[in-house]
Amino acid sequence: MTSRLRAAAGLALILWVGWFAGPADAGDLKDTIKNLYGPQGILLQPTPLPFFTQESRFQASSLQGLDQLNDQLTSAIGVPSFNSSVTGFTFDIERGIPVQTTESLGPLLAERATTIGARKLDVTFTYTRVNFTKLQGKDLKDLELVFLRDDANGNGIRDTAGPFRFESDVIRAKLSVDLTEDIFALIVTYGLTSEWDVGFVLPVTHIRLFAKSHAAIFDQFGNPGGTRIGDLPVHQFGPDSTQPDASGGGDETGLGDIILRTKYNFLRNYDGLIPDLAFLVEVKLPTGDEDRLLGTGGTNVAGLFIASKTYGRWFTPHVNFGYEIDTKDTRENSLRFAFGFDARLLPELTLGADVIGRYKPDGTGTGDHVVDLSLGVKWNPINSLILRANVQIPLDKNSGLRADFIPTVGIEYLF
Amino acid sequence: MPILTTRTARLIFAACLSAAAVHGLHPVEAAKIVALKSADVDVYNEVLEGFDSSFPRTTISEYDMEGDFQKGRKFLARLKSGSRPDLILAIGIWALQVVVEEIRDIPVVFAMVLNPTTVIGQEAHNITGASMNVPIEQQIALLKKVSPQVRRIGVIYDPSKTGFLVRQAERIARDQGVRLVTKAIASSKDSFAALDAMQGEIDALWILPDLTVLAPESVQYMLLFSFRNKIPLLGLSENQARMGALLGLSFESGRDIGSQAAELANAILSGKSAGELPITAARKVRLTVNLKTAGKLGLQIPNEILEQADVLIR
Repeated sequence: MTSRLRAAAGLALILWVGWFAGPADAGDLKDTIKNLYGPQGILLQPTPLPFFTQESRFQASSLQGLDQLNDQLTSAIGVPSFNSSVTGFTFDIERGIPVQTTESLGPLLAERATTIGARKLDVTFTYTRVNFTKLQGKDLKDLELVFLRDDANGNGIRDTAGPFRFESDVIRAKLSVDLTEDIFALIVTYGLTSEWDVGFVLPVTHIRLFAKSHAAIFDQFGNPGGTRIGDLPVHQFGPDSTQPDASGGGDETGLGDIILRTKYNFLRNYDGLIPDLAFLVEVKLPTGDEDRLLGTGGTNVAGLFIASKTYGRWFTPHVNFGYEIDTKDTRENSLRFAFGFDARLLPELTLGADVIGRYKPDGTGTGDHVVDLSLGVKWNPINSLILRANVQIPLDKNSGLRADFIPTVGIEYLF
Repeated sequence: MPILTTRTARLIFAACLSAAAVHGLHPVEAAKIVALKSADVDVYNEVLEGFDSSFPRTTISEYDMEGDFQKGRKFLARLKSGSRPDLILAIGIWALQVVVEEIRDIPVVFAMVLNPTTVIGQEAHNITGASMNVPIEQQIALLKKVSPQVRRIGVIYDPSKTGFLVRQAERIARDQGVRLVTKAIASSKDSFAALDAMQGEIDALWILPDLTVLAPESVQYMLLFSFRNKIPLLGLSENQARMGALLGLSFESGRDIGSQAAELANAILSGKSAGELPITAARKVRLTVNLKTAGKLGLQIPNEILEQADVLIR
């Protein structure tokens, strides 16, 4: 690689980071849903005597419910997988000529064991669009939260009959959430030796979160308006209460969580059926502002074993398996896996398919077991340039925060 | 994208300035050398390192043709129209091929080329270099050392590719008291019949660096032939020894081939003509011995060879 090209790549990197790594705004996009009805939750219209004071009776439940949904949503926003291709030449000692390192351009999201080669530099830009549509299988445009009233007479239960039957009234909040992410990632991989790669992923994220909600009061039988005493509703919205319709949100752009990675290919080209083997270590740094939903706020460390083998110079199945530790919340520790193949269908065209998943043995219940299918193509129009496109499709939409599909396009150059 | 690099240019330039100031410039030190690399592979980079280390005070401009002949030709056209170098180093066979086509009047030293005479025409008097071929003498001697019973060595070859090599080998074998049993083939499919015809006629089999012979099915059949007939097979690499050949003999390192090329370049820059300097074979070799195969063939490998081996497959 020329020093000129190296310098250009370095300059582009500095500009890239400098442009997006500005100071964070004060607004906390992370708390959009939590603060939808204001920091105090839902307060009802104060009622005159002889009723009990009712305005704050749903406050605790609404705060808790909104907080929980907020956490479910925001903790599930993650960083998609990234990798780099393997291209270039290796040397065929018997024939005395260089040959393509492999006949396939590599998988799109999973990893294969081979490295890019000594002193090679792979630079990739990708754009990923994530339009989240489901949370735990529920449509984000049609979420419902039910807030329960607290105990008025102190008997420890919510009465369903008698003078305190209004304790069984509920507030149902219908929420519509619009959550999208545009992720621009710079992925750089450098071959320190022919077996050892180092690299990083530098994501810049634009995230947009808007939520609107309509709250209404119901009695225990589902009748709108809640329990009435005589003609008077016990619980009601009014001019001095929180308004039943609320909306909020915004968008943020900035540096996401930077990922540092290194891969060591400790077994290659062994005879027989023994695959190429490698170990990958990945560290995700909390460089993205968690409050602005640009990062997860914690450092994650992952180790992955990778096995792959090329058959017939065009077909490469691969398996990745490992464990990721979330140093901020160990309940988020997860087993990661991926298996699939990449196949060079034409000299310049590779098709890849993968099943990618993660399982959190001690998870919090949201997105504990996520499995996606990834399908994509890589096109190599000229020597070291690769164009890539793939789509990630959730195989289980009932787990976690999911999009119907996640498209990614990218351009890659091997120096 | 064309890649023109100046390896360690600043350091070398500084070193040149210092050296010139102290000692005065020697013609060799002031030479302009351009290295044309066939592709960016480790072994070619090693060649360049080996070459560089012999020219510590010379700036060597490096160009990677990235396996693209058109790119190589364009680069050489630019080179000819601009400031001409004193010497071109062609690394790998592809670089040599484009240099042979394009360059007639600039001295050329090649390195890491297998069977270079198949590329260089008789009329090319400006070219010499360091091939990656292992000396034939060494290969025949090795087979004899492994088994003193070896009197007849079988080779299959494509006359259009390695006819010249077989003619040389026949002479050398005669000198060493063995006979070369040769079978010419025109395609890899012919190798089966050719080998079958050698059954009972040979005491050892030798794989030549011949693209027709190196087709996977031919190599597989030679391995099978070796096991069935319990005769040693001499391959071209550690990889072939791992596949089951008794021996694998190849050049030792790209760096050493680079040093050999540098010696030739030095001689040219000191005033000799490239045509006067014979093409060299690898002077250091790497020997792999597959002891599992030796066991299956019922051969006891002499200690001398075991000590000489760089890799023993147990």
